[in-house]
Amino acid sequence: MKKIREYVEGMFKDVPDSKEKTDIVQEIILNLEEKVQDLIEQGKEEEDAINKSIVEFGDITEIKSGLMNISGSEQKRPKSFSHANNLMFSVFGSMLLIGLFIFINFYYSPNTIWFVYPMFAVLWWPLSLFFVWLNNRKKGKDD
Amino acid sequence: MISSDIIRGHLDAIILKLIIEKDRYGYEISKEISSRTDNTFEIKEATLYAVFQRLEKNEYIVSYSGQITHGRKRKYYKVTESGQAYFKEKFKEWQTTKEIIDMLMEVKNEKN
Repeated sequence: MKKIREYVEGMFKDVPDSKEKTDIVQEIILNLEEKVQDLIEQGKEEEDAINKSIVEFGDITEIKSGLMNISGSEQKRPKSFSHANNLMFSVFGSMLLIGLFIFINFYYSPNTIWFVYPMFAVLWWPLSLFFVWLNNRKKGKDD
Repeated sequence: MISSDIIRGHLDAIILKLIIEKDRYGYEISKEISSRTDNTFEIKEATLYAVFQRLEKNEYIVSYSGQITHGRKRKYYKVTESGQAYFKEKFKEWQTTKEIIDMLMEVKNEKN
């Protein structure tokens, strides 16, 4: 019977832990054990009964994807939220930096306008994050 | 053992029907399916749990843990109202499908 437990737990090894997973693993083990018991009562050797149950079990890809969907949809939302957060941070950060450049420019050398050059350099930061955010929004819609 | 697409397409309704008759647990359902079909059709456990998952997600069935029998706590399934409604709809759909296929198959046979 230990073999059944090991087999079932092994099948679900790559699924992230969750209450749903524990429940379904537990349920499958119980039902398989009962099947093995039945087969033994019908005159099979325990070893044979266990092997037969395992072989007949079938492909669990569908169950797995069902489990992945439950946990997947919960994990997706905060991800796109953090992309929006990154964008906001970059916009405020670059505004502060540009403000600083403008201040230094006009305070120390009001006759030469040079703040535009570092401003362009700094603008790459929010611009790149803007694209990341855009890409991600598109991906989210495609899903 | 037959494993046709037609049966597979109606497994949700078939299992729902068994749960409508009375509350049942996993192994009981697979046994019942084998015995009702004289072992001509057997459901794979993996398929069965995928169906449970789907039915539960759609709120057609709910599960509860039953009393301890032989030292185990079985997980039973119970049909909900929307499950009943869904089965009725599927049953009607099947009746019509069956009629259509019968009609078409018979016409073909007569011509031969």
